[in-house]
Amino acid sequence: MQKSDLDNENPTILNVSQLPSREQKKAIARHGPDSSYDHLLFSRYHSSDASSVLEDDEEYEDVFDDALDQQEIYDLISTVSDPEHPHTLGELNVVRLPDIHLTPPQGDPRGLATVLVELTPTINHCSLATIIGLAVRFRLEQALPPNYRIDVRMKEGTHAQDEQVNKQLADKERVAAALENDSLQSVVNTMLKTCVV
Amino acid sequence: MANFKDWALQYVLSDEEPAQREIATKAAKEIESSGASRTVVGNWAASVQPWMARAQSGYDDQMDDGEDGGGSDIIARAKALGFLAGTLKALDRKLLKTDQVVFLVGFFGAMFSYDHKAGITASAKALRQLYAMRAFKPDMGVKMIEDVSKLKEDFRLQTASTRLEIYELFLSLIQNPAVSSELQHKYGSSCGFTVDLLQLCQNERDPRNLMLWFKIITVILANFSTSTEVTEEIFKAFSAYFPISLRSSATPIGITAEDLKGAVRACFSAHQHIAALTFPFLMQKLDQGDAVTVAVKVDILKTIKACVEQYENPQTSIVPYIEKIWNSLKYEVRNGEVKETIDTTLEVLQAIANKLDGSKTQRLDATLLKSYIDLVFKDCRDDLANPTYTKQAGLLLMTVITSNARAYMLESVSFVDCIRQNFQQPKSPSHTRDLVLILNSFLKARLELIRSRNQGHLEDEEQLKTEPRVHLDALFHDVYLGIWTAKANEPNSENIEILKQVTRGLALLANQQVVQQDGSRALLCSGKICSEICTLLTQCLVRGLTLSSNDNTTNDATFEEEALLALRSVVMVYTPAYEEFVRRATTEIRKRDWENASAYSLDALKNAVSQLAFVGCSQIPSAIASDTTFSNSSSPVQHFITLTTAVLDIFPLSTPGPGTEALANSYAIAGVHAAILFFRDACTAKYQPEALVSYSKSDKNWIEEFGHLPDDWLQNLRVSGDENLSALDENDPEVYRQFLKLSLYLVRHLYRTASSGTQSIWTGRILGQLADIAALVIRNLGEQLQVSCNLGLEAFNFFAGPQTQSPEQISTGPFVELLTRGVLEGLWPGAMADLYNPGGIAEKFLCNTDGLEPFLGLQSEIRASIGSILANKYKGGPSTSDPEVQTVKRVLVFWGEEIRKATTSDGTEPKIFQALNCIAMHIIAGATARQDKAVVDLIPVFKAAIGSEHANSEIVARSLGVLVKDSELLKADNHAIIRRFYKQWAYSHLAKPLYPLASPSADGASAATRYRTAILSIVSNCSFNVYEADVEPLVRLLITTLTERSGLSQRVLSQQLVSALEILVEILSNEPDALKGHLKAIIGGGMKIYEECLPENKHKAEAGGEPARRRNLIMARKLVLQVLGAVPKKFEERYLLPYSLQLQRMLGLACGDPVREVRQIARLARGNWLKVV
Repeated sequence: MQKSDLDNENPTILNVSQLPSREQKKAIARHGPDSSYDHLLFSRYHSSDASSVLEDDEEYEDVFDDALDQQEIYDLISTVSDPEHPHTLGELNVVRLPDIHLTPPQGDPRGLATVLVELTPTINHCSLATIIGLAVRFRLEQALPPNYRIDVRMKEGTHAQDEQVNKQLADKERVAAALENDSLQSVVNTMLKTCVV
Repeated sequence: MANFKDWALQYVLSDEEPAQREIATKAAKEIESSGASRTVVGNWAASVQPWMARAQSGYDDQMDDGEDGGGSDIIARAKALGFLAGTLKALDRKLLKTDQVVFLVGFFGAMFSYDHKAGITASAKALRQLYAMRAFKPDMGVKMIEDVSKLKEDFRLQTASTRLEIYELFLSLIQNPAVSSELQHKYGSSCGFTVDLLQLCQNERDPRNLMLWFKIITVILANFSTSTEVTEEIFKAFSAYFPISLRSSATPIGITAEDLKGAVRACFSAHQHIAALTFPFLMQKLDQGDAVTVAVKVDILKTIKACVEQYENPQTSIVPYIEKIWNSLKYEVRNGEVKETIDTTLEVLQAIANKLDGSKTQRLDATLLKSYIDLVFKDCRDDLANPTYTKQAGLLLMTVITSNARAYMLESVSFVDCIRQNFQQPKSPSHTRDLVLILNSFLKARLELIRSRNQGHLEDEEQLKTEPRVHLDALFHDVYLGIWTAKANEPNSENIEILKQVTRGLALLANQQVVQQDGSRALLCSGKICSEICTLLTQCLVRGLTLSSNDNTTNDATFEEEALLALRSVVMVYTPAYEEFVRRATTEIRKRDWENASAYSLDALKNAVSQLAFVGCSQIPSAIASDTTFSNSSSPVQHFITLTTAVLDIFPLSTPGPGTEALANSYAIAGVHAAILFFRDACTAKYQPEALVSYSKSDKNWIEEFGHLPDDWLQNLRVSGDENLSALDENDPEVYRQFLKLSLYLVRHLYRTASSGTQSIWTGRILGQLADIAALVIRNLGEQLQVSCNLGLEAFNFFAGPQTQSPEQISTGPFVELLTRGVLEGLWPGAMADLYNPGGIAEKFLCNTDGLEPFLGLQSEIRASIGSILANKYKGGPSTSDPEVQTVKRVLVFWGEEIRKATTSDGTEPKIFQALNCIAMHIIAGATARQDKAVVDLIPVFKAAIGSEHANSEIVARSLGVLVKDSELLKADNHAIIRRFYKQWAYSHLAKPLYPLASPSADGASAATRYRTAILSIVSNCSFNVYEADVEPLVRLLITTLTERSGLSQRVLSQQLVSALEILVEILSNEPDALKGHLKAIIGGGMKIYEECLPENKHKAEAGGEPARRRNLIMARKLVLQVLGAVPKKFEERYLLPYSLQLQRMLGLACGDPVREVRQIARLARGNWLKVV
C-alpha cells in the first residue's frame, strides 16, 4: 500500500455545532414549526412605526457590552484552515477556547493588552506546527489593534519539540523574515482564505 | 418550349440556395402550367443529360482509377440532380401521373447502384418528394427500399446529412401502413428487406441518425412479425448499442444522452416477442457486478421497467422471467448503497406487481400476482429478523405489497403479522427503529391506497370494504404503545430517535381510514384508541407547563416538534382530541402563578399558546366519521372557536399594578392572534384567493348581526356547535368567510371589552396587539363588506353599539387610540369615505393638538400613525362626502400654520413641538404618498421654517425625511394609496429647491447647515435612482457635512452624519466615479469623524450619554468604516496610495473599537486596504 504523505492521516474532527460560539451563550430561540409568527406575536414593539422622530431607546442596549474577549479571538483564529486537511483549526481542536488567555481580561481598550494563544497539534511530532503558529500569529496581527501583544505557543507537552517551535514563533525577526518568503506567504494566505471577518 | 436545359445550367452554376430554389420553382411552374405533359416532363428530365452522359462515360474509368478524376464533374452532376429534386419539391403533389412517378422512382432508384458519389443526396431527397406524391403506390415504396439497400457498404461513406435523408425516407415508408403491408406481403415472415437494412445501417454512429434508426427498428419490431432469426438479427443490431452514451461535443446538436437512452429503451420495449432476448440480455448486463456504473445500472433498470410496462400478454412475456429478475434485483436493494439505484429498483418491482394485476379493462388471474408476492415474501421473511437487512427487506416487501389494492388485500395481513412477530424479539434498538420505520411506511402507503381507490379497478373498492381490520387495530397496543412506554422512561438519544418514529407512526395510525359499506370513509381506530394516542402526544407538549424549570431537563426540541406535527395531523381527522388538548393546556396554565411569573413560566406559556394555535388552526380539519365523533365537532372552524374561546376564558391571567407590564396577558392575547394568523394561512393555501371575491353577493352588516347575538355566543358555539357551521364542507370556500366573520366577532368583543376595561389590564402593549389583530382581520374583508359593516365609524366608536352613538362618550385611556389605528390600518379607502365630511371625525382628529400629555412621545407617535393613514386613504371629489376636496387641504394648511407659528414666535417649547411636528410630518407623509397637490403649497412654509433661527427649526429640518420614509402602515397590503413615483415627486418638489440654499457660500451658515440637514434627511430615505441626476451637488453637500460641522446641536449633528454616510455608501456602490475628485476629503473627513465618534472622546461625545445619540455614534462609526472599506474596491491604486499608510494605522486602531459589530467592519476594511501596495 502506498504510504501517505500526511503527518496525521486520520485526525479527530469536531462537528461545527460542537465548536464554542457566542450563540450558545444566548438563550436558544424557538424554532419549531409553530414559531413562524413569533416575530409578530411576541415582539416587544407592535407595528406602530412613527419612531423615526422619537427613537425608541432600548433597541441598542445590548451592543454596548461587547468588549474584545476570548470568544472573539477564538472566532478569529478557529476559522484558519489546516495546511494538510480540508478542515479548520477549530474543527481539528488545534485551537481551543480555554487555551486563549487575555490579560487584562476585559480591560481598558486603549491600554496595553496581551493575547496568549496555546495551540495543541493533532500529533506531537507535527512538522507543520510552526507554520500553523505562524498563520495564527499573522491572522491576529492583521485583526487586532496595535495595542495587543500577541504570543503564540505550543501547549506544554503537546509537541515533541515545543521549545524550539515556541522560540521560532516568539522571534519577531524570524517571523518577519518568514513572511517575506514567497512560498511560506502563499501557504499562509491559503490557510487564511477561510477566514471571513 | 421551356428552356429546362438553361435552367439546369444556371442551377449548376449557381452557388446560392435562394437562387437555386428560385430556378427550381420556375421549372416546377413550367411543368405545372403544361399540366405535366409527357414532353415537358421528358424535357425536364433530359435537361440534366449533359452531366449524366459525362458521368456515364467516365464511370468505368473512375472505378478503375480510384477516387480522383473528375471531382468537379461530381459536384456538377450532384447539382444537376439537385435541380431535379428541387423541382420535385416545388411541384404540386397532385400533378404527376402514376407512370411518371414510376419512371422517376426508377430513375432515382437506379442512382443508388450506379452513382454513389454524386447521386445519393439528391436522389434521396427526390425519392422523399416522390413518396409524398398523390400518384405514389405502395409497391413503389417497396422498390425504393430495395433500390436504396443496394448502396450496401457505400452507405457508411456517405455524409451524415445524406444518411439522415435516407433514414427519414425509410422511416416514412415503414410507418406508412400500405407500404408496410405490401412489404409483409412480398417478404412474408422472413422480412428479407430488414436484413438488408440492418446490413446497410449497422455502423451508424451519428446521434441524430441513430435517433431515426432506433425509431425505424422500433417500428419494425412493433409492426412486422419477423421470423426468429431475423428478430435475433434485429436484436443484435440495437442491443449492441446498449448502454449508450454520448460524448460531449463543442457543437451541441440538440440531442442529449437521455434522448438516445430513451430511443434504445423504446427498441427493447417495442414488442413482447423479443422478451426472451431482452430480459436475459439485461440481466446479464446487470449482473456484471462492480463493472457497472450507477448511471448504467439505472439505465438498465429503467429499461427493464419500460419493458415490463410495455409488453403485452404478461403470462408469456413477463411471468417466465420474474424469478430471474427478482433474484437479480433484490440485491440492488438488499446490498445497495446508492439511493437512485434503490429507488429505480423498487419502481421496477412495483411495475411488475401492477402488470400482474392487469389493466383497468382486463384483469389477470390473481394467482400470478400471488405467486410473485410469495416469491418476494419468501426471500425477505428471514431478512426481517436480521438487523443488518431489516430495513431493506421491509422496503422491498412493503413496496410490492402496497403496489395496488389487490396486492395489498392478498398479503397485508401476513406482512403485518410478520413485522409484529419481529417486534416481539427485537435484536437491537436499531432493529426496533427500522421495524417501526417499515411499519410507518406501510401505513403511509395504505393511506395513499385508500385515497386513490377510485383510480384502480372497480372491484378494488369492493375488496377494500371487506378488508380485515383486526391486525391493524391491534397495532397500537401491541406495537406502538409498548415501545413508547419502554423508551419514554429512558430518554437517551437512541431512544429519542425511536420515539420520534413511534410518534410519526401514531399519527399515521390515527389517520388510517377504512372504506365503509356505503362507500364513505371512516377512521380505522376506535375513538378510544385515538383518544389514547392524543393523550400520549398531549402529555409531551404540556410537559413544559406541568414541570418546573429544574425538573424539565430534556432539551431535545426536535422530539417535541415531532409530537406537535403528529398531534396536528391527528386532530385534523379526530376532532374531539383538540378540545382535550386545549382543556389540559388551559388547566395547566391556570395552575401557575402569573402575578409573579418567572421567565421559565413565560417561555412555557409562549410555547403553549403558539403550539395550541399551530395544532388546531394551521390546517383545516376534515370531516371523517369516527365512532365517538360528536355531531358538532365536524365543523371546519370548530378548532378555531375552541381555542379562541379558551383564551378568552383564561384572560386576564394577572392583574398587574399600574405602570407594570404583564407579559402573561400579552402572551395569552397572542394566542388569539396566532390562531387567526395560522387559520388565515390555512385558508389561503386551501382556497384560491378569488374565493373571497365571490362573497360580495351577501354583504350583510355583520356588526349589526353581532348586536343581536347573546354575549356568550362564542362559548355556546364551543359547547353545542351551530347547525350552519357544522354543515360546512371543508372544501367549500365559505369556510374562509365564516372564519373571517368569527374573527371580526372576536375583534368586536375584544375592542368592546378593552375600551371599557381597566387600564392596568389593557396596557399599551396589549392594545397594540389588539390593533394588530384588528388590522389583520379587517384587511382581508372586501371593500363592500367594510362599507356595509360601517367599519370606518367603528374605528372611533370601538364597536360600542347603538347605545353610545357619539365617539366622545368612549372612555379614553392614554393608549386607546391604538385601537383606532388597528381598524383604520386594514380599511379600504372606499370604506372610510364617510369620515371626511367637512368638519367631520377625520378632520377633527387630524387637527387635534390636545390631550397628548402625559405620555407625550408615545401618544404623539400613535396619533401620528393614525394621522398618516387618514391623510393617505382620502378620496375627495363629487359624489363623496367631501365634494369640494377641501378636508385634507384644510388639515395641511392647519399644520403648516402650526409649524410656521412654532418656528417664528417663542411660544412652543421644543419638547412639545417635537411631538406636534411628529404628528404633522406623518400626516403630510400620508398625503405625500398619494401625491396630494396641497403638499406643494407647504413648501414655502418648510423653507421659511428651516431658514428661521428659532430653536424649533432644527426639529423641522431633521424630520423632513419622514415624508418619504417607507412605512409599514403605508403599504399596498393595507390598501394604502401609494403612487408609484411619489418619492421622485417629493424629492423634486421638496429637496431639489433647497440645494442652492444649502451651499456653504450662501448667507447664514447655520441656516445653510439646516437646509443641508433637511436635504440629507430626505435623500437618505430615497433609493439612488431618485437623486441620481443630482449626484454632483449632493456630493458637495456630503463633503461639507463630513468636513465642517458647526452650528448644530450634537444630536442633530450625529443624525446628519449618519444620513450623509448612508448616502455615501449608496453612491459608492452605484456611481463611485462621482467621488473620485473628493477622495481626500472623504478619507480625511472619515478618519476625523471616526475619532470624534469614539465614546472616550469626552469633549465631543460623552460616553453613557442618552442612548439615542449613542446609537447614532455607533451607526456613524460603522458607516464611516463601511465607506472607507469600500473605497479600495472602487478606485485604482494610484488614487489610493497616498492614504494607504495613515488609513492602515487608523483601521488598526479601529479593530479595537468597543463595539463588536464595528470591529468586524474595521477588520474587513483593514483587509481591503492591506491589498493596496
